[in-house]
Amino acid sequence: MGYSDENLIAAHLKGDPTAFRELVRRYGDGVLGYLCHMTGNRDQAEDLFQETFKRVHEKAHTFRGEGFKSWLFTIATRVTIDGARRRKRRVAVSLDQDSDCEESTGSQLATVADENAASPPDELLRQEQKEQVRKAVESLPTGQRATLILAYYQQLSYREVAEALGCSVGAVKTQMSRALATLAQRLPDSIGATK
Amino acid sequence: MNTHLTDQQLIDYQFDLACEADSNEARTHLEKCEACRKRLQELARKLSALEVLRDDVKASPELLSTTIRTAMRANDRRILLHRLPWLGAVAAAVIVGIALLSVPNRAGKDAMSLSPSAPGVAMSPRPKGAVEEPPLAEQAVAVGHAAQTGEMLAMNGTRDSAGPVRSVPVRAYLDFQEEKITPYGVTTNGLATAIDEQPPFAPASAIELVVLPRREDVQLTIYNAADLTLVRERRNLTLKRGWNWLQFMWANTLIDPTSLHLEPLEHKDRVEVQQLVFPPRLRELGRWLIHSEIEGPTPFELTYFTSGLSWRAFYMGTLSQDEKTMHLEGYVRVNNSSGEDYEDAKTRLIVGQVHLLDAVAELARRQYAYGSPVLTGVLGGVADNGLFLEDKSLVVAQVFNYGGDHVESLKRKDIQKEGLSEYFLYTIEGTETIPNEWGKRLLSFEANDVPVKSLCKYDEERWGDRTIRFLSLANDKEHKLGETPIPDGTVRVYGRADEQGHLSYVGGTRVKYIPVGEEVELELGRARLVEVKPVLMDVKTENHTFDTKGEVNGWDRVRTWKIEVVNAHTLPVEIEVTRGFETAYWSLTPAGGDATYRKHDATHARFELTVPPRQTQVFEYELTTYHGVRQEALSVK
Repeated sequence: MGYSDENLIAAHLKGDPTAFRELVRRYGDGVLGYLCHMTGNRDQAEDLFQETFKRVHEKAHTFRGEGFKSWLFTIATRVTIDGARRRKRRVAVSLDQDSDCEESTGSQLATVADENAASPPDELLRQEQKEQVRKAVESLPTGQRATLILAYYQQLSYREVAEALGCSVGAVKTQMSRALATLAQRLPDSIGATK
Repeated sequence: MNTHLTDQQLIDYQFDLACEADSNEARTHLEKCEACRKRLQELARKLSALEVLRDDVKASPELLSTTIRTAMRANDRRILLHRLPWLGAVAAAVIVGIALLSVPNRAGKDAMSLSPSAPGVAMSPRPKGAVEEPPLAEQAVAVGHAAQTGEMLAMNGTRDSAGPVRSVPVRAYLDFQEEKITPYGVTTNGLATAIDEQPPFAPASAIELVVLPRREDVQLTIYNAADLTLVRERRNLTLKRGWNWLQFMWANTLIDPTSLHLEPLEHKDRVEVQQLVFPPRLRELGRWLIHSEIEGPTPFELTYFTSGLSWRAFYMGTLSQDEKTMHLEGYVRVNNSSGEDYEDAKTRLIVGQVHLLDAVAELARRQYAYGSPVLTGVLGGVADNGLFLEDKSLVVAQVFNYGGDHVESLKRKDIQKEGLSEYFLYTIEGTETIPNEWGKRLLSFEANDVPVKSLCKYDEERWGDRTIRFLSLANDKEHKLGETPIPDGTVRVYGRADEQGHLSYVGGTRVKYIPVGEEVELELGRARLVEVKPVLMDVKTENHTFDTKGEVNGWDRVRTWKIEVVNAHTLPVEIEVTRGFETAYWSLTPAGGDATYRKHDATHARFELTVPPRQTQVFEYELTTYHGVRQEALSVK
């Protein structure tokens, strides 16, 4: 168990379909999370998700053999940028649209019906907190947001983030620093106090 | 340093964003400055709110499957072209593999091989010892192919990576020119030769080459009560005429190796699974010896028990606006931590108790399926070659404690009603992919407009001063249910809060197994809009009696109670108010109001009334309890 990303890519290049499947499963949540936070829209994120892994599949031979995660997020970032360009050409999307990157893609009720769901008041509070944090994160400029998501949520090293975003480590640190400073101002105090 | 650190400096320090000099400077300052330390803690606490978004997005299994399919489909053509230079070599390898299969019992000597993980069957002819060395060119092809196969295995023990069974050529080469293709797609070197009476030796070799016959079809039957799942899977194995070794591996899974069972689905009179061996030193694998009078693809059914799959039921009810009917949805959540992915599995769920002699997970982790291979026991013995042997019929009959065809026996548990059997079987329509470490929620049933009866109850002895809401329904046709029993689970009920259909949470409870035809009352918790306020208005004693010494030896206590029932709900409410008297010697006289009462038991009376929406109703009663010799007076009455 626990084959390295590099082994999986090598196996994929040799024609093993399960290797690609494993990669998609391994990074599915991370990539979708990144795309969701970048687009603020679950449907768009899912489209870009498919496009990202399609490119991974076809560009696997260009992978240089190390740092798969940063390579993957480089592709995801490019796909996001391309997607944004396409959308810009096609239609102007309202900036006020609600973020719908909740995990529940189906019926909200069904999620609440889940046995593991917290009691309704707790759940409500948790959703409210998430919404505030999500809004704060999504209000960041694109570069800072991408940096924050990759470094903080995807736990890429600053060097890997720099590779993924095609900039220097210094630039990454600057973006990260600004993003956190902005968030420190925008996140309400009460959230931090509530676990 | 006299000035305090800025927030920016603190953040840079905390998140390792400052250069080394700045970082050292900040550390030195923080050691001395309590205010900055506090501010750093505040910032850290504030930014820890970011954690709420961690892992809040999950890619659904459907999205993953679609993504994989889309990517593969889009690139099929490109990959083929990209790999054109390989095709020649691969084709050559396959042809040589075919040649190997065709050599009837060449090896008496061939053996099966293994994979390091996940349950899977593998077949590969393996020549014994150092026999004839092939020409160098052929060796190169074989090694190349072997390496490729090995790597494919190393990924995750993938059965489906190799497609239908093909023989992996290693050192097969003789008679190649004379071989021809049979209708089964394998080769034979002309005349059918006699099959050796003795099966080939299967050494406990740890290094093998394998081919991986993919799983064609899989069915899961999950016995929730005992952490037990019966897996029935169908795989097409390509047999050669003569003796075949088939290896089964279950590393990193929770399969019970004592439950393994294999049987051909076709050509049963010509294909016989003879024995199962568990080679010493090798963990988590077993090898079947199959005697075949035919060659070519043959479907087999493999059955075994595994642990780690479980399911649970839960229900969601949505009351109609008038709360007289309910939309009821039943869900089943299947969790898989068995160590194995089950793709497109037909899933069946068993409700009921199952008696197990051993925990399956425990059996799965044994080094040897039946304990040490050097011991001989009831279930098996040590073969001449040192392998631990198992006779198929013994395994099946003794481990499962039934005779004959165990698959048929399990079939007989099919949908049976309470009273006839302790089991009930749910079958989920279609197939489901349930990867390892995933949970999946499936809709098990949905019923519209189920008639329900809403009732509030007040009983100080049971719930204190709270009014409790109940919802009753029956699992029968009249209530648009009754097709199947309803397994244990949690029910959550929602009400329609407004005309727009927004919902509000009404309450939830756990329900026990509800057989068909049975009525059930769901306790939904406190009815916040209905309040009962009992007030004691008057107490007196009367009818005192005296003994011969002039002392009181009997009396009546008369209490007047006023009960106020407040309904703040927009719907009328039916309510039962139960009053306890702590004595069996009592009599009661209604003193006002519309409530009717009946004696509930020796010491309780129960009042029933309906309170219109947003109204208060009051009823009064006079309770007389009899004490001492006055109790006899009541008995005489």
